Amino acid sequence: MEIMNVLLPLALLLGGFFIFAFIWSARKGQYDDLETPRFRMLLDDKKILKSNPIEKKEEK
Amino acid sequence: MGLTYMKLCIHCDEIAMPPIYHEADAKQAQPFCCHGCLTVFNVLHEKGLESYYEIKNNSATFKRRSPVEVKASEFNFLDDPDFLREFSYLETNGSRVMEFYLEGIHCLACLWLIEKLPEFVPNVISSKLDLERSVATVVLQDSGKFSQVAREFNQLGYRPHPLKKNQDVVELKMKEERMALIRIGVAGAAAGNIMIYAVSLYGGASDHFAQLFNSLTVAFAIPVMTFSAYPFYKNAWNALKNRTLSIDIPISLALIMGVVMGIFNLILGIPENYFDSLTTLVFLLLLSRYFLQKIQEKGLSAQDLHYFYQSDSVLRAAPESPTDFMEIHPKFIKVGDMLKIRAGEFIPADGVVIQGISNLNNSLLTGESEPVKIRVGQKVFSGTQNIDQDLIIEAEKVQDETRLGRLLKNVENGWAHRSQIVDLTSKVSKYFTLAVFILSTSLFIYVYQQGDARHALEQAITLLIVTCPCALALATPLTFTRSLSKAAEQGIIIKSDEVIEKLAKIKNIFLDKTGTITHGKLKIINFSIHKKSSISIEDIIFNLENRSRHPVALALMEFIKGKGVQSFIVEDRQELLGQGVSGTIGDHFYEINKSGIFEDKNLVASFTVQDTVRADSIETLKKIMAHKLKVQILSGDRTEVVNKIAQEVQLPLANALSELTPEQKSQMIKSTPHSMMVGDGANDAIALSQADVGVAVLGAMDISLRAADVYLTTPGLVPVEKLIILSEQTMKVIHRNLALSLLYNLASVAAAFMGYINPLVAAIIMPVSSLTILISTVIGTKELRSLWK
Repeated sequence: MEIMNVLLPLALLLGGFFIFAFIWSARKGQYDDLETPRFRMLLDDKKILKSNPIEKKEEK
Repeated sequence: MGLTYMKLCIHCDEIAMPPIYHEADAKQAQPFCCHGCLTVFNVLHEKGLESYYEIKNNSATFKRRSPVEVKASEFNFLDDPDFLREFSYLETNGSRVMEFYLEGIHCLACLWLIEKLPEFVPNVISSKLDLERSVATVVLQDSGKFSQVAREFNQLGYRPHPLKKNQDVVELKMKEERMALIRIGVAGAAAGNIMIYAVSLYGGASDHFAQLFNSLTVAFAIPVMTFSAYPFYKNAWNALKNRTLSIDIPISLALIMGVVMGIFNLILGIPENYFDSLTTLVFLLLLSRYFLQKIQEKGLSAQDLHYFYQSDSVLRAAPESPTDFMEIHPKFIKVGDMLKIRAGEFIPADGVVIQGISNLNNSLLTGESEPVKIRVGQKVFSGTQNIDQDLIIEAEKVQDETRLGRLLKNVENGWAHRSQIVDLTSKVSKYFTLAVFILSTSLFIYVYQQGDARHALEQAITLLIVTCPCALALATPLTFTRSLSKAAEQGIIIKSDEVIEKLAKIKNIFLDKTGTITHGKLKIINFSIHKKSSISIEDIIFNLENRSRHPVALALMEFIKGKGVQSFIVEDRQELLGQGVSGTIGDHFYEINKSGIFEDKNLVASFTVQDTVRADSIETLKKIMAHKLKVQILSGDRTEVVNKIAQEVQLPLANALSELTPEQKSQMIKSTPHSMMVGDGANDAIALSQADVGVAVLGAMDISLRAADVYLTTPGLVPVEKLIILSEQTMKVIHRNLALSLLYNLASVAAAFMGYINPLVAAIIMPVSSLTILISTVIGTKELRSLWK
């Protein structure tokens, strides 16, 4: 059962890490708005171009 | 007939009638329903934001979109230092933050557009949209102007309404909410870890490991019992201080006893404690309460927003030159200000008409259904709507001093004085706590008589722990959360869980006629064509009434909706107060008034307008009365109108009360116990706040929304009936849950008396009882299930 001497601290360490990660993210406000982010990730980050004003895109 | 095929507007997907094209070549161009949508389309293209349409067409819409009405506004009042002080706040790095409620947010493309703001508006640092609330938070560099941001929003077709923020309150609330989450997270993680060690202990870990695991369990339990369980102790303490009842008292007692016993056993070297059950209990309870709070807040915030919805800017004459009008926020109107009220706008202050003649819609303030003619020298009141011509008024009473403001004050007083009910769980917990004390004392005496004092104390404490009313405490929040969220899905927003308990006791229902029994707006009935006209009837109506805001015009426009029409040039279009509209199209002179449509003075079609009773009203009223409820109509409208409607819905005339002032309405409610009031106008507001349950219906005014406990987002009586069934059935589930949880507690008491109780038994009984409650709640009742479909 010597393996327990390794596994126990490891389990505790891992658990502790996740608890602190959770506290950190909650404090940062990661869980403040649970609605919008799931849509936001669907949108592209690419910059819009101001320099092609009227040129239209092909409509399907 | 002109164009008869239908086209959908590219921008808002409404029927374009007739379509407007944005380019000369009609084959290439896309159709628009109105100039508003076309303007926004052009703006988007100029700025290179045309991806908006790509995103829009590829995503689902959350809300139905309506045609854009771009009202010209400069929003200069947003840059006023006084205004900024109240409506925005400074970040530490010098940037300013303001929140706007945006009208017309409806889909993913809106999110994209709003959040791209920093790329096409100078000085904007960031712009974040909360889709659910339709609120954009804009961060601006110090040099930037919010008026520019607002103009930009307006141009894009989202009319902005700045939201007033009390930064301290907001921050405090946010911190509390995050703290609640952390408490739940810590409890959940610790409970999970403790379970692992507890299983090894139950499985018979060897002595060395048993001691180690036991101390680890205690180590994990301490943050849960102190930090996570803090709200229970706080509530229990407050309840004790105020000499009231709370389920948190027996919970706190059990938790404290659990800690005492756990630490005691740890010192004595006995690997035995109840932390596995207790931490799980804390976790579940916190979670259920968190969800209940969340669902209630959701209703509340929708509520707050409606209040701002009405507060549009108003034109005020500059003191030096009475012909120059500046936009200001209604909050900053002062006595003596000259205000220009454009057609269609709500009057923001009580005052006297200085210039202009118009019709006023008083329905929200007084309940009258017919427009009232108003001319120079007459008094106007805040909360009424100017229908057809611009008016200039001098403000005499502002803010709280107006009739509407005083109504609001009464409403707030009504809220403060309404009776608090002792909820069912608290009532049960009173007897519960008493019973547990008596039982554990008698258990102590019973075991002590057999000789062992230490054993007796141990047994008594164990009883206190295992009778912890976990299922009891879970039963109510779980049921309410489920009912409230399901109700919200159906468009019934309930402000708090108390409402359901109160609803179940209702015996009288008072209905305001407009918007509930009737449609609340005029409708064309008995339309008949007498003679053929040179252009179609639809074309006459469309071309003459297109721009009018008169209720009859709106009814006529609604009547021809979806029929193909053609636009003509109308010459000498005139809108005469109380007489209708007239104009010349081609060689013919057309006229529309209350009695019909005329071509060159010859009657071509006649119609009558009436606020009609909803098709489902009669049937639903019968269903409501089948719940042993007395239904009465309370209206401010004229007796003949009210009586006619009562007859139509087959209510005895004795139950239809008319020509009531707001005060009389509230008096009526006050004198009737167990009453529910359904209404919409400001004239109902006091009554709503004084009723045991106030229900505001769709289109209600902000003031009555604030006064009400329930807000129905779908019109008519059907949701009222749903609400009644919902409360009855929810209370049934709650009673069942309470009975079940008491049964489990009884079982554990019996086991304790027979000496069968140990941590393992508790670890089985507690989760099983909670699970039973959960299943019972999810299953609900047959009626509830059918309601959810």
